[in-house]
Amino acid sequence: MVLVTSVRDYINRMLQDISGMKVLILDSETVSNVSIVYSQSELLQKEVFLVEMIDSISVSKESMSHLKAVYFIRPTSENIQKLRYQLAHPRFGEYHLFFSNLLKDTQIHILADSDEQEVVQQVQEYYADFVAGDPYHFTLNMASNHLYMIPAVVDPSGLQRFSDRVVDGIAAVFLALKRRPVIRYQRTSDTAKRIAQETAKLMYQHESALFDFRRTESSPLLLVIDRRDDPVTPLLNQWTYQAMVHELIGLQDNKVDLKAIGSLPKDQQVEVVLSSEQDAFFKSNMYENFGDIGMNIKRMVDDFQQVAKSNQNIQTVEDMARFVDNYPEYKKMQGNVSKHVTLVTEMSKLVEARKLMMVSQTEQDLACNGGQGAAYEAVTNLLNNESVSDIDRLRLVMLYALRYEKENPVQLMQLFNKLASRSPKYKPGLVQFLLKQAGVEKRTGDLFGNRDLLNIARNMARGLKGVENVYTQHQPLLFQTMESITRGRLRDVDYPFVGDHFQQGRPQEVVIFMVGGTTYEESRSVALQNATNSGIRFILGGSAVLNSKRFLKDLEEAQRISRSGSHMV
Amino acid sequence: MATRNRTLLFRKYRNSLRSVRAPLSSSSLTGTRSGVGPVIEMASTSLLNPNRSYAPVSTTEDPGNSSAITVGLPPAWVDVSEEISVNIQRARTKMAELGKAHAKALMPSFGDGKEDQHNIESLTQEITFLLKKSEKQLQRLSAAGPSEDSNVRKNVQRSLATDLQLLSMELRKKQSTYLKRLRQQKEDGVDLEMNLSRNRYRPDEDDFGDMLNENQMSKIKKSEEVSVEREKEIQQVVESVNDLAQIMKDLSTLVIDQGTIVDRIDYNIENVGTTVEDGLKQLQKAERTQRHGGMVKCASVLVILCFIMLLLLILKEIFV
Repeated sequence: MVLVTSVRDYINRMLQDISGMKVLILDSETVSNVSIVYSQSELLQKEVFLVEMIDSISVSKESMSHLKAVYFIRPTSENIQKLRYQLAHPRFGEYHLFFSNLLKDTQIHILADSDEQEVVQQVQEYYADFVAGDPYHFTLNMASNHLYMIPAVVDPSGLQRFSDRVVDGIAAVFLALKRRPVIRYQRTSDTAKRIAQETAKLMYQHESALFDFRRTESSPLLLVIDRRDDPVTPLLNQWTYQAMVHELIGLQDNKVDLKAIGSLPKDQQVEVVLSSEQDAFFKSNMYENFGDIGMNIKRMVDDFQQVAKSNQNIQTVEDMARFVDNYPEYKKMQGNVSKHVTLVTEMSKLVEARKLMMVSQTEQDLACNGGQGAAYEAVTNLLNNESVSDIDRLRLVMLYALRYEKENPVQLMQLFNKLASRSPKYKPGLVQFLLKQAGVEKRTGDLFGNRDLLNIARNMARGLKGVENVYTQHQPLLFQTMESITRGRLRDVDYPFVGDHFQQGRPQEVVIFMVGGTTYEESRSVALQNATNSGIRFILGGSAVLNSKRFLKDLEEAQRISRSGSHMV
Repeated sequence: MATRNRTLLFRKYRNSLRSVRAPLSSSSLTGTRSGVGPVIEMASTSLLNPNRSYAPVSTTEDPGNSSAITVGLPPAWVDVSEEISVNIQRARTKMAELGKAHAKALMPSFGDGKEDQHNIESLTQEITFLLKKSEKQLQRLSAAGPSEDSNVRKNVQRSLATDLQLLSMELRKKQSTYLKRLRQQKEDGVDLEMNLSRNRYRPDEDDFGDMLNENQMSKIKKSEEVSVEREKEIQQVVESVNDLAQIMKDLSTLVIDQGTIVDRIDYNIENVGTTVEDGLKQLQKAERTQRHGGMVKCASVLVILCFIMLLLLILKEIFV
């Protein structure tokens, strides 16, 4: 809750002290930050009668001086330039400027220079520079997410931009929480190390006064880890509601775009909202698996049908009056029911068409259980199967390669060749590129539970006990990391501290930032962990929210740049 | 949550830069100020805030007030929206009065209760009239054509429509509870009468007429009158309920359904963009059809024909 409430508090504070009709001006990133926590009707209650983007506002020449302008933008140089022009030719009566991150003095100077007509009333920094989708999960929605995989020598400016944006986002989260953390990072990742060090510099040196909050008995922990330590989770197919929607259809800022599915009739090709804050059914079902969701939806539909039947039975004037009274509720219920029914129906169709039950079973076996021979057979069979799509074939081979990288290289080669011959769109060498980035030498954590004796024993015990549901048996590596933190056993060797900070005992608040992106399966893990009330509150964040499509796209981009980079070198 | 105020630094820079600029362009500065248009000084305005009193936009406060803000004259439709909000506020206060009157009328009283009924009737009618009037005025706020001003108007419309809808729902709830209690009272009254008459009345149906004496007749007549009156009241309440149902139906198109995609800020921004683009396309299409329109073609053909005829005439004159 805490992330969502802080962004809402920031927005409330922005709007409450300014009276009269207002226009809210956002940029392409802050529009996501605001839209995901604040609704249009709430804006109307605060007398904000127009919302515009900073790009389009200079186009129109209408002067609307009866409106007061409230700007909420990121302090980037492009935004400052646009703002300069708009201040020099003011269209609105008053200008209140709110920036989502730290301003440089030079930027303030530039703005002061262009404010010849003295329309600016206040300039504030309100640190809502992240997208708070769920109570314990935030993202930075970065477009060039793939840059984290590229070594610094190939594209130094790109990596610098990536790192700056991540540091800004993390700083904003801690400013919103009013904490200054102890920072640890994953030793094997250069990008994570760089980000951790730059964050430490910002919090303890450059802006040390701003971050100097009241100390609590134990400092919170910021752990910066790399996506490549767990490349398995984004590749797996998902079966819990929120993760499944993102994997099969796509969830962006808590919105689902049904237009992407071609098979729907025209009137259903809309966008729908899946927000745990506003939709009680979604809140109670977002982490449930597909079978349970089906049952719960059926129950919801039955309830709705009962209400609908009683509504049709109108005989007296009283009934009429009652119907009209309850109509808004009824309409809302109907909209909700139809939304979930449509989503689940579409996902069922996709599961059927892509034979995902079969594919996912093999995927889960590859991720969780051993047996190289059997795995090779299963993957080969699926590769030969015509109805398995290209992307699923690619994922299977990748999962096999990640697990059995060192065992039986001949069979591995055979799989590569088969993949290349069967999938015309497959970019050759992508699997090898993945192994170079995230292979067994690059990883810190015990991804498959086969390094450490304790983990092997645990796995065997789990195998003997049997699993509740074959399709959701995978636990992301993050789960083990969180357990280690809870027990105070996160190894210094693998996750060193930045600088000379140390942690006494266990932290009570932990922010885990995953460079390269998080997945909804991991966010579910965090939410379930927090629900156990272990005394530690975990918050998860990433540079993007991945599904298998996005992860593969990032890999392809990174591969392309590395190739062109190596040509240049 | 932490924030940082940079206004002081900003003002410092601005002042120092102004003193640098001032000797060069002092005259142009004042020129640009007054060139903005008719300007009204005011201290603060709270246009449509339901919690505070409605201060009209055009009050002229002390112009010498250093904290006065110059705001341009708002467009005409703002007056309409102000009127609506004033009406809504009035309707609210009347609803409170109505609540009290309902409670008073339901209490058992010795008097006839006719003035209470009259009071309730008049209040209800006033409120319904105010709501209806506001709703009609609300329709006037719609604007044609895609522009930023029309978006503002649409949003103001939506906000007022939400307020109106809440008010009318409240009114209906009040009325329906009053109706229910009235009905209960009526039934109790009739039951009471029925019980009384039954007690003195033998269950012999053939002797129906003989058994009724004058006392019972007058009692039955009185209970009939009471029930007729109550029927009338109920009928009136039902009428106003129907009126409000109509208002609700019209408003439901304007009010945003919370939690749906229409309630998302980013969706509304994108749609504005597309409607503006669509509007542009429509305009372009209209221009094209007008240019290639039948009328234009006809007219140009006729003109050409005229020229040809003229030429033929001249040629005829020359050669003949």
